[in-house]
Amino acid sequence: MVAVARRSVLIGGAVGAGLLAAGCTAGGPSSPAPTTPAPPDPLLAELADERRLVAGYDATIARHPALRARLTAVRDDHAAHAAALVTALGPAAPPSSTTPAATDSPGVSPTGSPTGSPTGSPTGSPTGSPTASPTGSLTASPTGSPTGSPAGSPAESPSTGIESSGGRTRVPVTPAAAVAALRAAERAAASARGTAALTATPDRARLLAGISASEASHVAVLA
Amino acid sequence: MTAPAPTPTGPGTPTATPSPTPSGTGQVPALQAGLAAEHAVIWGYGVVGAHAGDALLPQVRDADDAHRTLRDDTVALVARYGGTPVATEPEYALPFPVTDRGSALRLAVHLEEGAAAAWRYAVAATDDVAVRRAALVALSDAAVRATRWRLALHTSPATVPFPGD
Repeated sequence: MVAVARRSVLIGGAVGAGLLAAGCTAGGPSSPAPTTPAPPDPLLAELADERRLVAGYDATIARHPALRARLTAVRDDHAAHAAALVTALGPAAPPSSTTPAATDSPGVSPTGSPTGSPTGSPTGSPTGSPTASPTGSLTASPTGSPTGSPAGSPAESPSTGIESSGGRTRVPVTPAAAVAALRAAERAAASARGTAALTATPDRARLLAGISASEASHVAVLA
Repeated sequence: MTAPAPTPTGPGTPTATPSPTPSGTGQVPALQAGLAAEHAVIWGYGVVGAHAGDALLPQVRDADDAHRTLRDDTVALVARYGGTPVATEPEYALPFPVTDRGSALRLAVHLEEGAAAAWRYAVAATDDVAVRRAALVALSDAAVRATRWRLALHTSPATVPFPGD
């Protein structure tokens, strides 16, 4: 939830900046542009999230080797997601070793605008029904952060539900709990990618929508 | 099943939600792509149901129901955006012979992959957020059902990184 709100803040910021820039150029005598630096590409947060998911699966498999057969293909899906996001980002993509929150928008308050969640908002929906999915997969993120106590955790990975501290991912002790944590992480990820897809450019929307759908299907595998 | 014919005046609920946002483009072609796929999928599930066997019938029926609901909702949406909803074809070509449980399940996977492809196309074909959201939900639901059918088939892997590719 928090992450979705934060991401929508990011998107809002990007759009706002775009409008500002357009206003400047249209406005006339080229202003000296004392403006703030360009906001980070919103795909960076999606990439960081996918890399955290890969790390979360790797850590889970290392901790619970018996889960390897069940988890490897899903883990590989996330690696493919990350690779596709790197391609979409182009030169802006950070190398994979520098994953974590560093890319995650310094300067944007993670506590900002809980009201901003565009997913939940029915406004503009031309009909009530088809958007309210039968499965609710897109908007279903109540289990997004099941680990509780978001207060203590760093702003690092609220959306994945995978806790990490100091670069290490903490894996629940029992296999069942570990799978449950991954399931929650997949729901949150599907929701976050889906939200990002709503306002992205067509190519990016296609990519993010595919990733979101893949993550929704992961939940079925982890059930 | 009931009353698939769209009323020319639209879906008729007096409480009908606000008219479509004038901003945004590509809603009708995007929705028509999804609707055409739904017509084919519903036809295909008739074939699946005829060969899947009794044990799978509840799952087949659930999937079929979901697609019929989606079809009806999409018909209404197309009309609301000013389009004439595409009609179903009398018949569709099967991608391979369906003769038993295994081929019926493979057809079910094929159908959901086709639906996913159409709805994923739809996501990118419009910038209308409401239509994108509807298409995203349809895409995700198709991906989930495809995965469930693959699990029933014991196909590995049961998921793909980019449903609709």
